[in-house]
Amino acid sequence: MFDALAAAAEEFIGWFQRGAEVFTGLVVGIIPLLIVLLTAVNALIALIGPERVNKFGEWAGREGFIYTPIRYLIWPVISVFVLTNPMAYTNGQFLPEKYKPAFYDSAVSFVHPPLGIFPHVNPGEFFVWGGILAGIDALGLSPTPLAVRYLITGLIVIYIRGLVTEWMTRIMWGRQTAESAA
Amino acid sequence: MTALLTRIGKAVGKVVGTLYQAGRDAVDTTIKNVIPFIAFIAFVIGVILETGVGEALANGLSGLASSLGGLLLLSIVIGLPVLSPLLGPGAVIAQIIGVLLGTEIGQGDLDPSLALPALWAINPQVGCDFIPVGLALGEAEPETVEVGVPAVLFSRMITGPLAVVIGWVFSAGLYA
Repeated sequence: MFDALAAAAEEFIGWFQRGAEVFTGLVVGIIPLLIVLLTAVNALIALIGPERVNKFGEWAGREGFIYTPIRYLIWPVISVFVLTNPMAYTNGQFLPEKYKPAFYDSAVSFVHPPLGIFPHVNPGEFFVWGGILAGIDALGLSPTPLAVRYLITGLIVIYIRGLVTEWMTRIMWGRQTAESAA
Repeated sequence: MTALLTRIGKAVGKVVGTLYQAGRDAVDTTIKNVIPFIAFIAFVIGVILETGVGEALANGLSGLASSLGGLLLLSIVIGLPVLSPLLGPGAVIAQIIGVLLGTEIGQGDLDPSLALPALWAINPQVGCDFIPVGLALGEAEPETVEVGVPAVLFSRMITGPLAVVIGWVFSAGLYA
């Protein structure tokens, strides 16, 4: 009777002991570097001043395909890097209405790919990257090659998302206007 | 002379103050946002690992995550316009699947070379819960929001799986 109770109690506390091991591993492995990096980038942004960035946005909203890399690549990257999630999306205000959904799609898709190198952009959602990172660490492999490739593919993906969503917005807008006319 | 000293003193003080504030912000974010999530994740993972649910779940997931086809399927399901706004909030789902897959990689059940397409496969829903708010932050008109929400959701059905393919192409030679 008491043996069974003791076994059950041991099983029960075992769950939390395993959880505590996971907790220690994550805190020791990730937090120190994260804090130092966050401090450095926060200071850099405060010294540059976000208001200097705004001028750039007005330039990004022009017509023509050659401006799409500015609108869906450079502008979202600067916005996410400087203003971080979720304030980055306020930079859509400098663009014409028809480009706003595509800009949002680009910007929001860039709040995780830089996490391996610039965790300040979205520390609250660090574990989108941090979960996989913990596995790579456990194997004794260097996470840097993966972090760099995640960032590079991020740039490609957000540009494509911008273009596809701009196109999708145009289709939807046409349908909307046709419906309200009918 | 004193004027120069005052100016230097002020400039240094400003830099030090900025750095100190940056450090305070960093620690604040860590305590308020990062550590609570670690606590939550540690509890969930602990229970999952100890109860054996983990093995069942891991078998299912690693079956899905161990090939490009499986990852594509995962991204298509998570990116469905009905599901993506539900799975988006706080990136909680992406983070939990990420940690599960990471645990699998750490135990050697999953090839680390698939880590990059996996990162894209767990996240086609990013921001899908937040489209109206995100557009409102960009001072969009209500009509833009009406058009923008379905535009982003439908666009993700294409770009979600596409991102997995791009991730797979770019993982050539990674951890080989």
